[in-house]
Amino acid sequence: MNLFPFWSLSGEARELGLVLGVLIGFGFGFVLERAGFGRATKLAGQFYGTDMTVLKVMFGAIVTAMLGTVVLSGLGLMDLRAVADYATSSTFLWPMIVGGFALGVGFIVSGYCPGTSMVAMASGKWDGLMAVVGVIIGQVGWTAIEHLPAISRLQNASDLGHVYLYDLLGLPAKVGPAVVAVAVAAMAIGAFLGAQKISDLVRRKDALPAEASSPSTRRLVFAGFVAFALVGLATMAVPTGTSASQKPVGSLTPIQLAGRVLDQPWKVRVVDVRPMAECAASRVPGSECVPLEDLGKLGLADANASRELILVGGPGLAALPPAAAAYPGRVAMLAGGFPAWASFALTPPEPPAPGAGPDVLETYRLRAGIAAAMTGVKAAPPPPVPTGQGGGPKKKGGGGCGG
Amino acid sequence: MERNPDKFWNPYLAGVALGLVLLASIAIMGVGLGASGASLRMGVAAVGAVAPGFVEGTPGLARAWNHGRPFDFWLSFEVLGVLLGGFVGAYTSGRLKAETLSGPNFPKGKRLLFALVGGVIMGAAARVTRGCTSGQALSGGALMSVGSWAFMFSVFAGGYATAWFVRKEWR
Repeated sequence: MNLFPFWSLSGEARELGLVLGVLIGFGFGFVLERAGFGRATKLAGQFYGTDMTVLKVMFGAIVTAMLGTVVLSGLGLMDLRAVADYATSSTFLWPMIVGGFALGVGFIVSGYCPGTSMVAMASGKWDGLMAVVGVIIGQVGWTAIEHLPAISRLQNASDLGHVYLYDLLGLPAKVGPAVVAVAVAAMAIGAFLGAQKISDLVRRKDALPAEASSPSTRRLVFAGFVAFALVGLATMAVPTGTSASQKPVGSLTPIQLAGRVLDQPWKVRVVDVRPMAECAASRVPGSECVPLEDLGKLGLADANASRELILVGGPGLAALPPAAAAYPGRVAMLAGGFPAWASFALTPPEPPAPGAGPDVLETYRLRAGIAAAMTGVKAAPPPPVPTGQGGGPKKKGGGGCGG
Repeated sequence: MERNPDKFWNPYLAGVALGLVLLASIAIMGVGLGASGASLRMGVAAVGAVAPGFVEGTPGLARAWNHGRPFDFWLSFEVLGVLLGGFVGAYTSGRLKAETLSGPNFPKGKRLLFALVGGVIMGAAARVTRGCTSGQALSGGALMSVGSWAFMFSVFAGGYATAWFVRKEWR
């Protein structure tokens, strides 16, 4: 059972979701201001060793939210990977490293990051206003040129898809997030104590008084991290719907599979489990031919789980083979197996009758396109587009601030 | 309430509070916090008001323009909240004041220019990285995205590498 998230931004709840968005933003802005993030002089102190607030607040927030999501997912209330796939962007490794460095340069030059500059502006700081204007100019300017081939090639280089720290470590899905969260919490506590030492040294050298600190509060927060880390680890023992044996197995229709294979082939791993001869004759593009009896040799239990595993079988494949159930990532089966795919994607559709509705025409156009792409044979051209129709369904944007 | 502009929350408690806001955003809205995406919408709204043809003819801008409704977007509402929250936080702490912040011996005009230039660099960089310190480092970091963690370490590296060159601005 996955309670979270409520998906407040979709469907009828959208208006309520936007009101909640203002409230969450209010909390964000208020906490940033109270932490001192509306003041460039305080933020810049992080880079001169005199004020470790940025490190403490950022890592403290990351550890808190990470432990929270791990506990929710450990209790079976949240599908962590699904939430993360929606809320985070893909990993574009080199653009993120190079762009991150540039953003760090901009941070120390302007004294703010994009979010804190808004807090500074709201609290009357002229430098905050200038940084906000600068971010707007930089965003619009870069967006205006990023479709140029040379820039687009660099910006979209090294796309690893959605990949998480627990994928890198090759840990099973059940324990990976909790183990990583505990490691990050331990690392953060170590970094906090180290940072405190550095700041004490630098401030003594500059003849400044030590940073205000409250050892009892610090102990309380650290104890809280440890307690939640233990809860997160304990949830690994709780049998939930996410454990391998009871993993929910998705089912894909042929049209969904075609969409995945054509639009985002790097996000799926399609395995065809029919006998080798049948698979060799005709199969879904990009799929691997692994007869059912050889599935165990793939070592799926230890495979990288960042792609969704999709099994294509014969008409008789009803249950998920155990070797595939051990896969730590998401698993889906093609409904109806390969025969359903053949009749959908490899057979050109009948042209619609004259005067058919727009839905029928749209379906025909899509199917004809898929059949043409899969077989290399063009179907009859569709009838002309009826005018006066609204656009297609609105595509949801990704999360984060890339927008 | 006592108003003391020099008094901040304990950084550890502020971190936990920020983490709870982030957790609420992830659990309730299904998305993390963000900032720079809303800046893009503001800019596109301004440019689109003057030159709608240019905006509609440029792929990335047209997407943000959203057929003339650039603010129909969650981050726009979230950032409206950030501005309100920042204002209320500053007002109640006594930090609401029209001023320019910099090191003691740095000219104010130059400081404003630096803030603008740094902002432009960050704005462009945040497009390349698909998000800024809020969307990538905080939200992606909490959800353990590999790219977000690479980004976060790079931001600190960039800041530390440049700090010496602009030390007069701050010290």
